[in-house]
Amino acid sequence: MSGLVGQGVARVDGRAKVTGAARYAADNEVAGVLHGFLVMSTIARGEVVEIDTGAALAHPGVVAVYTHADMPRLKLPDFPFNRRFIPMQDTRVHHHGQPVAYVLAQTLEQAQEAANLVKVRYRAEHPVARMADVLDEAFLPEKFRNRPNEAARGDAAAALEQAEVRIDQTYSSPMQHHNPIEPHTTTAVWEDGTLILYESTQGVVFARNAVAFAFGKGRESVRVISPYLGGGFGAKGPTYPHTLLTAAAAQLAGRPVKLVLSRAQMYTSNGHRAEYRHHLRLGATRQGMLTAIVDTSTAQVTRVEENIYNGSDSTLRLYACPNVHVRQLGVRLDLPTSSYMRSPETTAHFGLETAMDELSYELGIDPVELRIRNHTEVDQQSETGQAYAGKQLLECYRAAAEAFGWARRSPRPGVTRDGDEYVGWGMATETHTYGVIPSQVHLAIGPDGRATLRAATQEIGTGTYTVLTQVVAEGLGMPLGHVTTLLGDTAYPEASLSAGSSTMPSVAGPAADAARRARDAVIALAVADPRSPLLGVPAEEVVTENGHLFARGDRDRRDTYRNVVTRHGSAVEVTGRQDNTAGHSFGAVFLEVRIQPRLGRLRVTRVVTAHDLGRVLNRRTARGQVIGGVTWGIGFALMEHTMVDPNTARVVNPNLSTYLVPVCADTPSVEALFVDRSEPDGKLLGVRGFGETPGTGVPAAIGNAIYHAIGRRLRDVPFTPDKLL
Amino acid sequence: MRAFGYTVAGSPAEAVRIAASTPESTFVAGGTDLLNLMRDGAEAHDHLVDVNRLGIDGVAVDSRRLRVGGSARMRQVAEHPRVRREFPVLSEALLASASPQVRNMASIGGNLLQRTRCGYFRDAASACNKRVPGSGCPAITGHNRGHAILGGGDHCIATHPSDLAVALIALDATVHLLGPGGERAVPIADFYLLPGSTPDRETVMRPGELITWVDVPRTALAGRSRYLKLRDRATFEFAVVSVAAALRTSGRVVQDVRLAFGGVGTRPWRDTQVEAALRGRPLTGQAIAEAGRLLVRDAEPYEGNRFKVELVQRALVSILSDLGGLR
Ligand SMILES: Cc1cc2nc3c(=O)[nH]c(=O)nc-3n(C[C@H](O)[C@H](O)[C@H](O)COP(=O)(O)OP(=O)(O)OC[C@H]3O[C@@H](n4cnc5c(N)ncnc54)[C@H](O)[C@@H]3O)c2cc1C
Ligand code: SF4
Repeated sequence: MSGLVGQGVARVDGRAKVTGAARYAADNEVAGVLHGFLVMSTIARGEVVEIDTGAALAHPGVVAVYTHADMPRLKLPDFPFNRRFIPMQDTRVHHHGQPVAYVLAQTLEQAQEAANLVKVRYRAEHPVARMADVLDEAFLPEKFRNRPNEAARGDAAAALEQAEVRIDQTYSSPMQHHNPIEPHTTTAVWEDGTLILYESTQGVVFARNAVAFAFGKGRESVRVISPYLGGGFGAKGPTYPHTLLTAAAAQLAGRPVKLVLSRAQMYTSNGHRAEYRHHLRLGATRQGMLTAIVDTSTAQVTRVEENIYNGSDSTLRLYACPNVHVRQLGVRLDLPTSSYMRSPETTAHFGLETAMDELSYELGIDPVELRIRNHTEVDQQSETGQAYAGKQLLECYRAAAEAFGWARRSPRPGVTRDGDEYVGWGMATETHTYGVIPSQVHLAIGPDGRATLRAATQEIGTGTYTVLTQVVAEGLGMPLGHVTTLLGDTAYPEASLSAGSSTMPSVAGPAADAARRARDAVIALAVADPRSPLLGVPAEEVVTENGHLFARGDRDRRDTYRNVVTRHGSAVEVTGRQDNTAGHSFGAVFLEVRIQPRLGRLRVTRVVTAHDLGRVLNRRTARGQVIGGVTWGIGFALMEHTMVDPNTARVVNPNLSTYLVPVCADTPSVEALFVDRSEPDGKLLGVRGFGETPGTGVPAAIGNAIYHAIGRRLRDVPFTPDKLL
Repeated sequence: MRAFGYTVAGSPAEAVRIAASTPESTFVAGGTDLLNLMRDGAEAHDHLVDVNRLGIDGVAVDSRRLRVGGSARMRQVAEHPRVRREFPVLSEALLASASPQVRNMASIGGNLLQRTRCGYFRDAASACNKRVPGSGCPAITGHNRGHAILGGGDHCIATHPSDLAVALIALDATVHLLGPGGERAVPIADFYLLPGSTPDRETVMRPGELITWVDVPRTALAGRSRYLKLRDRATFEFAVVSVAAALRTSGRVVQDVRLAFGGVGTRPWRDTQVEAALRGRPLTGQAIAEAGRLLVRDAEPYEGNRFKVELVQRALVSILSDLGGLR
């Protein structure tokens, strides 16, 4: 074996990406394509009364303007289509920025300008835009995707009542948007009743299934292609109306249609992290053992959807606690439905990890020690007391604390100064669940001795091409450059979504399985081939390295993949499968902030993380994920905030100049440590899902560091300068 | 965005002539603001006159003044060695503006005439008195964290976003204009208008006028100037509150002082009473605190920007303490 897995191999697609050779969805030039542009509602609630398309139709280059009157009737798909209505099927308006007309023109600019010329008359109703105004209407929504919104063990109310020490606080976070750099885009091409979609999606299979259902077609008559994504962060996991509407527009027009959402349109078209209030009560003994957690959260939902995406998984499972009661409530507002966004569990985890810090001060126990005392090796929600296999969280605390120098910290708040800055150190646990989606891959070794892996999963930007190429090259004993990975096409075997941290735990195993099968198949051919120097060598005595096959005991007896497959006369093809189980990955983040409270200035100056992600497949891409997670964590803590006008329910800052995300100067370098040990349950390669874990603890760690620096406890993100004054 | 025509002018006079004879036209320099406004539907023009090649792009310092061309780039001015040394507040204000990429593109004239970042103004589907006179001001009852506490009213509370304008006001700059009616010079303190009941009118410029030069007197005071900018992220963001200050003391006594403020006023804000309150007095914490209170005496804060009343006073303390060596 060439030992490629685990190395910090540079991205195999890096060159194509930085030189522009990589074709993203909207880069496809389709002959005869028309450019689409959506006309969005400018009320948040009511009815479309009349749409005047005259001026738009008269605009040069305009081919058609479709309204609800023109659109074919579509069947409402279930999840991954997470809205409970399809726009332009009737006159109802459910939120600001909902598609009400679809313009087609020869050029994008013509379509955009014509969209401005479409006049829509509405009967408007008064929208409810602010959660604070209707908190008394909070309700417990139905199960969503088989997950109940209430969970309990023990008797949390009684245990809280009897607890020696209690924390009772409310934490909150605002509406936030994913903001991938690449906008959502769909190009729809109908050919003899089959539909091809060039799409930017985190799940080609999901998208295909939803579209096929909506159009009443068999899955085989829809193909979705998405070889690269310019980021998704959850915004491209579900399937959204613009995809269905573009396919419908192309069908009506009888021509291919390309749609690229504008940045502003992305703020109402693809979900967001719901505004969230979190009432959390902890009960503990004087020694710091948690005895009760009562967790009631309230998230924005809509009048037609009641999906809760920000799960309280960390409150339920992270710490040992016999009595827990979690309720996830919803409040209906006239806004678009929310969705999964970058580590959805961060939202609740921020409250938990802040409350743990508050408890540590209440008890006078170091925050790391408090977490160690409440550490659990068994899944707290499992009735049979299922143990976590190889959970290395304690090692993460130890490694990160040591690298950070935590032992030097004096716990007293507000006493460490450096010039005119107050210095604060804070920490938090990091954790997220990861999913597993049954996946298959196809691997072929051609007569040229080169291998091609095909799987209908995606490269969301995290390095899927690279890591799968490493896994296959190592499994086959081939140079990295002899393996090509092809992703993002439903013509390939069904494989995982690039969401829910599920790609690697779902697909790495099948890729390794395929490599093993293909290698075995080629060895079997060689040892049975009279023309091979390996004829008659027992198969288990053959080793493969660098594209060669050797007899273990006599390395002069050698053959190559290329020769064996060439003589065989056709490619060797196998399918790889390997089921895995979902789980959790863990870590710890320690960081330093420096604050000038007089001016409300804050800098995050140092970050150390340690993570347990099972086996590390590529240190470089894993580190990239940590840097990205920490950066988004800083955004969550300090600045990200979608503003909705309280009177109109319209987003006021739908662009990257007023929706702030961290820039380089906000982001210190990150020391990312890994506890690199195979997950015993992570089949074949010992991997866990890791995508969403890094960053989950960062918002709380920043708040905890602020408390340490200046003695002020902040519980509502973003921690903008005014809150530090 | 509507389709538009485009002409490159070769001299200031030609630019003014083309603009005067072309209906619905305006000037474009770097386009870093104008094109966004046109794409967002906040402005519409049928014709753009390019003013990048008029020969008004120099930066020169002589014994009396700094002269900056209307088409000089932000970066050119920010990095000019003599500007850095003799007019530090200008260089600091520019370097604290936007990003290197934007500063390479953007001009001084365009910077002074950039429009407010008020989200309602830049959203064609919202009401906004500045964009559509008489349609209302949703910021007053909506999101107003970025808005002004000084100089507003029932019609508009938007801030002017330019950092450079704040610095220029502290240095008593003069804006030179060329228009169909000829040349004139306007002190920058008189250049920007309060919104009153016509928030769509932001400056005293007449239709078709071009900013040719900006002059800044070369004084000892200018050499002792600084810019402090407070914002919601470390770089690439407009001011929540900013202060441009220039200070000359003799012993501890304030001989002369200039102060201008960004992020708090509906125009780049100067209040000569505040300066007068400091002039001739020893620079003490108490004197600065009194000046700060004077500054906000007529403040009209809203739900989202109440904190600015306190923050701008603290910013004043910080910058004057630094300049005056109080710490
Ligand atoms: C992301 C981003 C961040 C920014 N951050 C900051 C910041 O922190 N601080 C800050 O101060 N600015 C900031 N800016 C604004 C930036 O400084 C302005 O966009 C820029 O200065 C405008 O210059 P321009 O040459 O591109 O003007 P244009 O966009 O070409 O023109 C702007 C306006 O000026 C007019 N105009 C241009 N030149 C002349 C002239 N010579 N005479 C008469 N009229 C003229 C145009 O007609 C137009 O109305 C930011 C901009 C962006 C895009
Ligand atoms: S503050 Fe001024 S610019 Fe903003 S919405 Fe009100 S009128 Fe328009």
